[in-house]
Amino acid sequence: MSTTMSTSSTSSLEPLFAFLSYSLATAESAFYRLPGSAVIVRYVKSSHQNDPGRTLLELILIIFAIRTLLQSRTRTDKQQKHFIEFNEKEIDELVADWNPEPLTQPLSAEDQADIACVPIISGPTGPKPRLVVPNSPSPSKPVINLATYNPTGLAGSEYLKSRAISTLRKYGLGSCGPTGFYGMIDVHLELEKAIAGFLGADAAILYAQALSTVASVIPAFCKRGDLVLADRHASFAIRKGLEISRATVRWYEHNDLASLEEVMMGIERDERRRARRRGCLSSLTRMLGLTHKRMQAKYIVTEGIFERDGAMVDLPKLVELKNKYKYRLILDESMSFGTVGRTGRGLTELYNVPATKVDMIVGSVANALGTGGGFCAGAEAVVAHQRINAPASVFSASLPALLAVAATEAINILSASPSILESLHENARAARAALDKIDGIEIPSHPASAVIHVCLKPSFWGWREPATDEGTPTLSSPGLLHPSSASALVPPALSKSTSSKSTSSKSGHSLPSYSSSVSPTSQVYPPPSAEQIAFEESILQEIADEALGQGVLVVRARRLRGQEVNEPRASLKLCVSGGQAATGAYGGEPGGGGLSKKEIEKACSVLKSAIGKVASRRR
Amino acid sequence: MPYEPSPMAFRSSPSQSIFKKKSSQTLSPMTSATSYLSALSQADARARAASRSPTSTPALSLSSSVTGSSEDTVLDDTVMDNKDGLLLPVRPPTSEQVFDTVHTEFGHCGNEEFRYTSQHTPGEPVEGHVEKDPPYYILLSTYISYLILICIGHVRDFVGKRVHPARYRHLMPYNGYAPLTSDFDSFYTRRLKQRMDQCFSQPVTGVAGRTILCLDRYSPDYNHTQILTGGRTRALNISSYNYLGFAQGRGGCADAVEESIKRYGISTCGSRLEGGTCDLHTISEALVARFVGMEDALISSMGFATNSTFIPALVEKGCLVISDELNHASIRFGVRISGASVRMFKHNDMRSLEKLLREVISQGQPKTHRPWKKILLIVEGLYSMEGTLVNLPAIIELKKKYKFYLFVDEAHSIGALGPHGRGVHDYFHINPRSIDVLMGTFTKSFGAAGGYIAGNKALIDRLRLRGHSGAYAESMTPPVLTQVVASMASIMGVGLPSSIKPSSTAMTVCAANGEHYQHPGPAPPSMLPAWMALPPRLASGEEGWNRLRRLAFNSRYLALGLIKLGFITYGSPASPIVPLLLFNPGKMNMFHRLMKDRQTPIVVVVVAYPATALVTSRVRFCVSAAHTKEDIDTVLRACDEVGDILDLKHGIPKSERWTVDELVSRAVELVNAPQ
Repeated sequence: MSTTMSTSSTSSLEPLFAFLSYSLATAESAFYRLPGSAVIVRYVKSSHQNDPGRTLLELILIIFAIRTLLQSRTRTDKQQKHFIEFNEKEIDELVADWNPEPLTQPLSAEDQADIACVPIISGPTGPKPRLVVPNSPSPSKPVINLATYNPTGLAGSEYLKSRAISTLRKYGLGSCGPTGFYGMIDVHLELEKAIAGFLGADAAILYAQALSTVASVIPAFCKRGDLVLADRHASFAIRKGLEISRATVRWYEHNDLASLEEVMMGIERDERRRARRRGCLSSLTRMLGLTHKRMQAKYIVTEGIFERDGAMVDLPKLVELKNKYKYRLILDESMSFGTVGRTGRGLTELYNVPATKVDMIVGSVANALGTGGGFCAGAEAVVAHQRINAPASVFSASLPALLAVAATEAINILSASPSILESLHENARAARAALDKIDGIEIPSHPASAVIHVCLKPSFWGWREPATDEGTPTLSSPGLLHPSSASALVPPALSKSTSSKSTSSKSGHSLPSYSSSVSPTSQVYPPPSAEQIAFEESILQEIADEALGQGVLVVRARRLRGQEVNEPRASLKLCVSGGQAATGAYGGEPGGGGLSKKEIEKACSVLKSAIGKVASRRR
Repeated sequence: MPYEPSPMAFRSSPSQSIFKKKSSQTLSPMTSATSYLSALSQADARARAASRSPTSTPALSLSSSVTGSSEDTVLDDTVMDNKDGLLLPVRPPTSEQVFDTVHTEFGHCGNEEFRYTSQHTPGEPVEGHVEKDPPYYILLSTYISYLILICIGHVRDFVGKRVHPARYRHLMPYNGYAPLTSDFDSFYTRRLKQRMDQCFSQPVTGVAGRTILCLDRYSPDYNHTQILTGGRTRALNISSYNYLGFAQGRGGCADAVEESIKRYGISTCGSRLEGGTCDLHTISEALVARFVGMEDALISSMGFATNSTFIPALVEKGCLVISDELNHASIRFGVRISGASVRMFKHNDMRSLEKLLREVISQGQPKTHRPWKKILLIVEGLYSMEGTLVNLPAIIELKKKYKFYLFVDEAHSIGALGPHGRGVHDYFHINPRSIDVLMGTFTKSFGAAGGYIAGNKALIDRLRLRGHSGAYAESMTPPVLTQVVASMASIMGVGLPSSIKPSSTAMTVCAANGEHYQHPGPAPPSMLPAWMALPPRLASGEEGWNRLRRLAFNSRYLALGLIKLGFITYGSPASPIVPLLLFNPGKMNMFHRLMKDRQTPIVVVVVAYPATALVTSRVRFCVSAAHTKEDIDTVLRACDEVGDILDLKHGIPKSERWTVDELVSRAVELVNAPQ
């Protein structure tokens, strides 16, 4: 039966076989007609005769090559082992089932209060602005402004305004393009030159926004595989820059150079051990140039004056360390540029360290000079590299011309009149002297800092950690951070580094009063819990509201709670301004100038009474 | 050690005779590109040597009232001849025509024929991105060019490192420091980009308006250094993002800005949450929200930072961002910081998008297969390198089915598209409220700086608190805010809804304060600062309306004109960005140079890898409302000539092409013809 089946099927398949043999013959003749086909045939025949296994191997190789070529280059989820096959109907059901979360949750009551307490200035800002009063057409009485950055008192300067207006008439407002494509205006080049000259660096590059500057400088240099040592309490922008750079980041304790050195030594030890393990074979191949491994670039990223608490880094010691261990230093001077040093050139001037010793100085044009933008100064190669590799420089329109011109003029004013900075420093000292007398607060900021962070002593305000975490010690010596007590109360673990700091700064730059109070905060305090922050912020807001009622504008330092790593302590951020004496070569300054010493003292006494009031209410 | 001259680096050495730039007639016989180029380069050097003394800057009169076109002569340089047609209009104005703009900033064009309305015809399919291919020999020669460039580059590196180690020090480990950048990473920059550095980072001065003043420069050493000669050249500017021509040093907007500087000073000196907010911020944010038709808006001082600091506040881990493959770097930056997962789809390809959506929703999060918390689709309204418009109608359809959230980056499209300039939703007549987040910048159409993000009130309030900019970035400065308010108000027109002719496509939407209004509609006078007095032409919205229609005409004329001449272009004719494909890397440098060295110099932007795919190097024109029809004629004539020299016409077949004269005379017919 089977044979009949087979014969019948063979007969029915007859035309198919005929067609197949015919097409095979045509294909064969076509193949022979191809030039060079004989060679292939000869090769296959002879290789097959020698070793049939080889033909098979070659065939597999060819199939494999074709498969590789046809495979898509990018791995999609389909190739992953977790992919589940669904049919169209199932997908439709899944799509219909899926219910996304809302794009945003409605604001909570606290969030709404947070927005409601944002002060809105009516008209020009300056040392004594007026505020918008909700539901009222007329603004408030002038208040003493300790909220906004105006260290040099140049906000409202008539001279800068007139220069800005003449620039507007010549250049228009926007630059309408990135620097690469006709957005590089001559006034940008002038400002870059002015900044570089002011700092004593070789060159500088301008960015359109201060926040994006350091977040862009870091990824321009630090690449995957590079090593970055960063301060645990570095600013938000630095952290974002590090995140995007994909470099390996190691953290050291806040403003503690001894901890930095420890980390550096640890890394050096590891490197040596790894080199030994690799042995002589790899070094031999490396010498012969057979293996080429990219050398790891090493960077230190820190701030001059910290945005979070106003502490100041010991620059000479830092430079010494970086040179010893061969690191490059990215120093963010957003807070210190324009506020410290005899003429406001920043930390390099204060410590008398040449700017060329710091590889990249990042600074804010917006904060100190009262216009907009940021900069990075360094060697020619450093700046040239950023022009084509820093995302915020390449992909963003350049700074409006009038802001650049105003900044150039501000630099000219600063370098011509050191009295501006003198008055600022005097005001900062006066503010510190007044604030130090207030009970219940502590100030982690450096005495020279023009931005003063006022934190609460948790124990004074009756803060107790919730009973659940008994393990965390309550604050034993909250007075430790107090600058006046810093020299007396040096914890044993720190005494070595602190003493070395004071010697180095004493020998170099006669700044004995500063050196003693560089106190690492994070070692003393456990990171504050969310409850503690909320508790402190509510008190601080109450104090700020109270002060505003008495005619002094202060603001709580705003943080992105939940998005920060190592949550910073809650604080009031007082920005001292100076520059009363900014007249002279540039004519009278109606509307310009900062606060006088008397006004600062008055503001501090208002703050004191506000704190006292809130304390009596709370306790 | 002096370098040898190379044909790639244009070198200019001083010599004696004065050479007038060649007029177009004498150019045509010179068909060989190299002969043309060498002659041109020599001639240019001679010209530069002759005019070494810088043209002096005349004292600018600072009066803010501008009357008629006579201002040009006051404003402009010592060069009084108008041979290049840049300083004065070709056709002098008639007695009844009064132009209140400076011709070099904003061209005078009184002809009502040269206007067009930018809008999508309902029902017509939106075409996706079509990549038109050149002939194979062009592709092949492009690949070979890159191959040669790369080989030469590597040989030079290999030899150079051994012969001149000092010059390679920054690329080699030195004294225990790793190199600043590895020679591999910087290879493209050093060996390919540097060869055409003449095309990039050109320093300029003055207003980036219809024309721009370039600072002349030359490089004695293969573009390692660029030296400014002190001379200046005025060129037709078809490169700046100045779509509506608001880059002006004169006029109503600039007057308002001057007033604001007097009133507010230069800066508000702080971040938005820490005392840097002033009443102008509130006013401008309300106006921006009204302009785009959303409930509320938030302004940021930098366009790049708008994306890079607000996207992280929208999505977090467990969310998915679906991003067009050609999205801007700022979006990638923001998404990467946010920690959300990212998937990309093929540029503007709705089928690819839907396939991806079905996959990601059905699969859920990788490994765990938990459903995504939310999916955010980020697209651009108008893509800055391709000129393609997003297929918004199709995306809105998909959105209904797949429930993702939609973020449209209108960096280039806001102000530039739509009958009312409200961006891509206006162009497609789509209710803005069907989009969740609208983002845009003020750099482009408004002649200002910075960006905004708009959405419903809860969303924007959350961004105010949780966006990185609110707490840490400097706020936008008052002069910039004023420019935004003044230019925006003049596009919208100031008045009560009844005073401006109602649009057929208007829809009623609700503002943050519960008030209902017509969108797109005018700006109520109460929304502007009380001190701001816009001149009647601006306040009535007539000027803005004119600008919108001029931009639409110019864009369409240039895009369709280039196609008719036989070039390969990308993108929609509605787009003010018109990319013209060059392909061969060598042609970029030459195209740029040939355009710049014409009798009427034209500055262009050439873009190549990595901004585009390796083979599709292109020149990108940015059309402006400030251009007159004659300016576009000039560009088309220049392209026609240069295109012949450089063999660029590989588009439509020869029989369908128009000659450039035909094109210029039939411009209105071309623009108004249905697609």
